[in-house]
Amino acid sequence: MSTKRIKSLFKRELTDIFRDKKTLIMMVLVPLLLYPLLIVAMTLITSAVMSDQEEKIYKAAFYQVEEAERIQDVLKEHEEELSYKLKIVESENPENALVEKELNAYVTAEEKEGRVFYSIHYLSAETDSVTAADVLYDGLELFREELRKEAVEDSGLDENVVLYPINYEKTDMSSKEESMGSMLGSIIPFLMITSICLGAMYPAIDVTAGERERGTLETLLTLPVTNFELIMSKFLAVSVIACTSAFLNILSMMAAFGFMFVFFAESVQNLSFDFATFVPATLFSIVIMLVFALLVTAVCMCVCIFAKSFKEANNYITPVLLVFMFSSYAGMLPDLKLTAATAAVPVINVTLLIKDLFSFQYNYGLFAVVLFCNVAYSLLTVMVLGRIYNSESVLFAEGFTSVKIFHKRSEMKQGQLPGYGDLLLLLCILILGIFYVGSFATVKLGFAGVFVQQLLILLLPVGYGWYVKTDFKKLFSLKAPGVKGVLSALCFFVGGFCLNLVLSSVLSMFLKDSSESLQKQFDVLLQAPFPAVVIVMAVLPAIGEELMFRGFTFGIMKVKTKPAAAVLMTGFIFGCYHFSLVKLIPTAFLGCLLAVLVYRTGSIFPAMLMHFANNFVSLFVSKYQEQLEDRFPALMNLNFGGSQVLVFAGMVVVGAAFLGLGVWISRKKE
Amino acid sequence: MLKAEHLSKVFIRTKLEEEKDKKGKGLKKKSVKEEFYAVKDISLEVGSGEILGILGPNGAGKTTLLRMLGTLMEPTDGRVVMGDAQGGLIEEPVEMKKNIGYLSGNTKLYHRLSTREMLKMLGDIYNLSKEECEKRIEEIFKVLDMKDFGDNRIEKLSTGQTQRASIARCLIHDPDIYIFDEPTLGLDILSADAIVNFMKEQKKLGKTVLYSTHYLEEAQFLCDRILMIYKGGVLKEGTPAKIMEETKTENLRDAFHVIMEGADEA
Repeated sequence: MSTKRIKSLFKRELTDIFRDKKTLIMMVLVPLLLYPLLIVAMTLITSAVMSDQEEKIYKAAFYQVEEAERIQDVLKEHEEELSYKLKIVESENPENALVEKELNAYVTAEEKEGRVFYSIHYLSAETDSVTAADVLYDGLELFREELRKEAVEDSGLDENVVLYPINYEKTDMSSKEESMGSMLGSIIPFLMITSICLGAMYPAIDVTAGERERGTLETLLTLPVTNFELIMSKFLAVSVIACTSAFLNILSMMAAFGFMFVFFAESVQNLSFDFATFVPATLFSIVIMLVFALLVTAVCMCVCIFAKSFKEANNYITPVLLVFMFSSYAGMLPDLKLTAATAAVPVINVTLLIKDLFSFQYNYGLFAVVLFCNVAYSLLTVMVLGRIYNSESVLFAEGFTSVKIFHKRSEMKQGQLPGYGDLLLLLCILILGIFYVGSFATVKLGFAGVFVQQLLILLLPVGYGWYVKTDFKKLFSLKAPGVKGVLSALCFFVGGFCLNLVLSSVLSMFLKDSSESLQKQFDVLLQAPFPAVVIVMAVLPAIGEELMFRGFTFGIMKVKTKPAAAVLMTGFIFGCYHFSLVKLIPTAFLGCLLAVLVYRTGSIFPAMLMHFANNFVSLFVSKYQEQLEDRFPALMNLNFGGSQVLVFAGMVVVGAAFLGLGVWISRKKE
Repeated sequence: MLKAEHLSKVFIRTKLEEEKDKKGKGLKKKSVKEEFYAVKDISLEVGSGEILGILGPNGAGKTTLLRMLGTLMEPTDGRVVMGDAQGGLIEEPVEMKKNIGYLSGNTKLYHRLSTREMLKMLGDIYNLSKEECEKRIEEIFKVLDMKDFGDNRIEKLSTGQTQRASIARCLIHDPDIYIFDEPTLGLDILSADAIVNFMKEQKKLGKTVLYSTHYLEEAQFLCDRILMIYKGGVLKEGTPAKIMEETKTENLRDAFHVIMEGADEA
């Protein structure tokens, strides 16, 4: 790697981008104009609404109300306090008048159990009507107050003792800066993330798909530079633009809001702020934003690199950026807090951190975690980017294989293998299927619903495979397992079970299991007859999930990529499929083991066996927990006092030994 | 000297095939994936002061072959090596690229830069010193007669001017080997002649030139040797005179027809 070459390539990229008018407009002009215009628009709208409301007179009527005049007097007396003007009109048919909008609200009265019961009639769909009703409500309350006072006076009691034995009020203890900070903290992440995305998007497309569209990519390839140097220079150039854009955005935002506050502070005394309190938050935010800009840049480039034209790149990048922007709303959710777990979630961690910073909560540990995660993700994405950029099929645009299912079945080639596109589509269908059909069935049908859901998982990959006329034997690794396959499946099961127990216990120290409702649901399901439970929750998943993940998913992956990558990806997808943060790592680990088993034995059946055994043991222990505890108390309550670490270590050794044995049994003949 | 040994390149391509359906009526199209040799087992060697012409119909594998020779593309099989000044061999693509000037219809230029800016950037990448680079740029501008438009942005140049700017790009590092993929395609007579003359000049300077073309007259008078390829393999190799003699024809165009007919029959 030569820094000199990267530098000159980088310089060229920057010159090229800066000479493009579209980029300049997006980067400089838009942020500079956006915030002042936003503020002007906001001020205009607010003042228009305010003046409109001030001048407005609401029409109300009293229909067959005896005390109408007294209430009117009360309303008039407290007009200032209620801050709205109410005009009382006569109406013969107020209900009609309300619908015709001649009236905003009206009051009726009737006698009930010796007391007068007033009703305020209004239309909740009409803002004016709602306001008028509120005023009337407050007015009636004041009227009631007056009647009370009269009654108390008449009976010769002390008003203060009877009516106001105590007094109370709310006092806001947060400083102006704090309330301001909490407001800023929820808006700023959204604005910053949006501006970084917009800033990175255009140059990212320009240096990848744009380069290809203009035909300069091959020129670059004739130069004595490595692909890594190429991609680094591009990455740096786009990052610089993204950062500059974000920086300009922040400056413009601060200038515009600052101007507004200074301007208003003169007229309103309350709005004078000590801006210096926000300096640390701003500085930290800038640091984290710069790192975040690297991540956005790398992700954008990863996506755009596959596109053959500007238009295509635009189509690819829009959904990705939408995800980023929606995630940045996280700061506005009241219950979402920055914790060790959320600090690892991309985008959301940045949002929550900035929110914390502006609320003057400086948790340096979490700050470091967020920073580290963002750097790590960026590096990872850059590595992926380098890998993609190195592949000829991307550079010379032989392109992605199309998704096969969009062709007629009669056009399908017998025995073809689906590709990544098919896999992605099928996983999407699976998620949708589980979300709509599966959860509906489970809620409506209970136990039978789980059966339906499992059937869905079984039928989807098989159906897809049938439609594209795939080679079932090859894709789903349908091969007789042999004795060795079965033996190694059993070894894998024991080894995996031991390791997973340790893994889950260790993880449970860090992650709280928040899925109580799921646990309850699970307990309800366990009430069914045990053989049925075994069929639905051990046999069917062993068949269906194996066909889906170790069959379809792994079957495609192992052809398209290296075995290790295929195993890890399959495991990861399997982990994600369980839709639970707590289960993610243990199930991903299990998924990896199952994939290794399929890879080693060349057959899916050992994996099915292992999957079944795993589910069966879990079910059995859950169902007969009490009985087991009675019979084998020592086994069920593994309690070795302080030597927990030793037990874990022992189980790891045993687990690893069994896995090793399984691997050895399933060795291939030379 | 540039040498290729048993070069092959395999692509996976999708092909639409027509076939009759079960009832035997109507044609149906279906897409089929297949491995396809763009270049199959080609070996060649070009020495200094030699011009090798690569001829063949569209889709014969000319561009893929040249891309592999220019180390833009990695061969599926075989290897490309280059002789260095000390008589050793260079095999490292990045090192080889330092000594190759590659030009094709696909090597477009950066529109938003001027030729001079582009050459300066290239000079940096080829590790030329600033003075060396500027001297070289002046020389190139003189040789290619580019002084009038060398400082204009490339997007403003005419087709002929752009092609000269492209050649300037290949010249900046004074390579020993030139690989030109259809360099005269779509140019007027004057611009095309300028390029042909340029190749002749380079040959006189002892440089190695490989180029592909569809203009057979041009190839007949310019090339020392001809490599005719078809469907990824070599059909005929030799001097233009030898090829014409073997096919008993008067010019290369007729020879090409005779050879192609022979190939299709076989």
